Amino acid sequence: MHSRRIMLALAWILLSGTAAGQADFEGIWTPDHPRGMGQPAADTVQLTPAGQAEYEVFTPDRDPTLRCLMPGIPLGLVDPYPIEIVYQDHQILLLYEHFHQVRRIFMDGRTAPDHWLPSLGGYSTGEWDGDTLIITTTLLSPDNNMWTSGFPFSGDENTYVVERWSRDEDRLSFTGEVHDPTYYEEPYVVNGRWDYAPDGEIWEYECIPEFGGIE
Amino acid sequence: MKKVMRKAMRKHRIVVLFAALGIFIGLPVAAHHSGVTYFDVEAEIVQHDATVVEYVIVNPHGRLVYTFTDEAGNEQEWSGELASANNLRRRGLGGEVFKPGDKLVTVTGSPSRSGANFMRLTRVDFENGDVAQLTGANAGITRAGE
Repeated sequence: MHSRRIMLALAWILLSGTAAGQADFEGIWTPDHPRGMGQPAADTVQLTPAGQAEYEVFTPDRDPTLRCLMPGIPLGLVDPYPIEIVYQDHQILLLYEHFHQVRRIFMDGRTAPDHWLPSLGGYSTGEWDGDTLIITTTLLSPDNNMWTSGFPFSGDENTYVVERWSRDEDRLSFTGEVHDPTYYEEPYVVNGRWDYAPDGEIWEYECIPEFGGIE
Repeated sequence: MKKVMRKAMRKHRIVVLFAALGIFIGLPVAAHHSGVTYFDVEAEIVQHDATVVEYVIVNPHGRLVYTFTDEAGNEQEWSGELASANNLRRRGLGGEVFKPGDKLVTVTGSPSRSGANFMRLTRVDFENGDVAQLTGANAGITRAGE
């Protein structure tokens, strides 16, 4: 009886305690996003009156990345620098070169604790649907309020993003469905893709705001 | 300003459309920013006989500082915005490319909308025939004779 319990415990650890799910995304990936994919297509975006008002007051100095504020989510979903993906027992790590951004995708069924504050990266949980990784990110921040083209993001308590990642040989593709009912009548979708780069490198990305480029 | 030439580029309909959407055309591959917000990408400035003052390779954007003499005989100092340090280095445009005192035959770019002595650099031609392409998919250094 005792040995049976040990075997069951080991099985539970192996089956439920690992994030290495149905598909292998581990390794370094370089961006291969077609131009413009990082911004919502204008003809697919339906701004609310509040969203339209924000769009009209956009000025370059509201671009967060020019102040060396990391893009976060959703702006940083389609990121222009390499990333490394690491599987751990309870989480998948998305390690971005850009601004040293680290995303922890919790895969063990946990939910955001009550004390978790809104942040640029939010709080991400993941689950597998076959070979597709579905990431849901909540607790986003109003500080990450702008797409650089001027499309707003409220970052209020009603915002969340659902990503779907899948691999086809050496290509990793994803969609990000952005829910922001304060500023958009309907959710909009951005797309991105990465190419497997086993010899790729993740470099240091220090950032100096004085060189943001606004003069 | 000596041989400063500013010319309006042809307004392709698609460029106008994308500009209206706030999408930068011809930006460095990895730029996240909407360049049309900050620079008049439909205009081009070509400055001649410049001298490098400083090449700063930092994120989020590198910077080339240079001087040249305008038509009135006054020395002007300008700054040119570049891609990020990481992108410059990946494209072979690291710190060895520009040194203080280097002579540049032409410096080409898109002017800042602010009117400052500042532009988004697209290309630099060196005295020895080397060419630094600074934006687009072909960004990199081409040595004379290659």
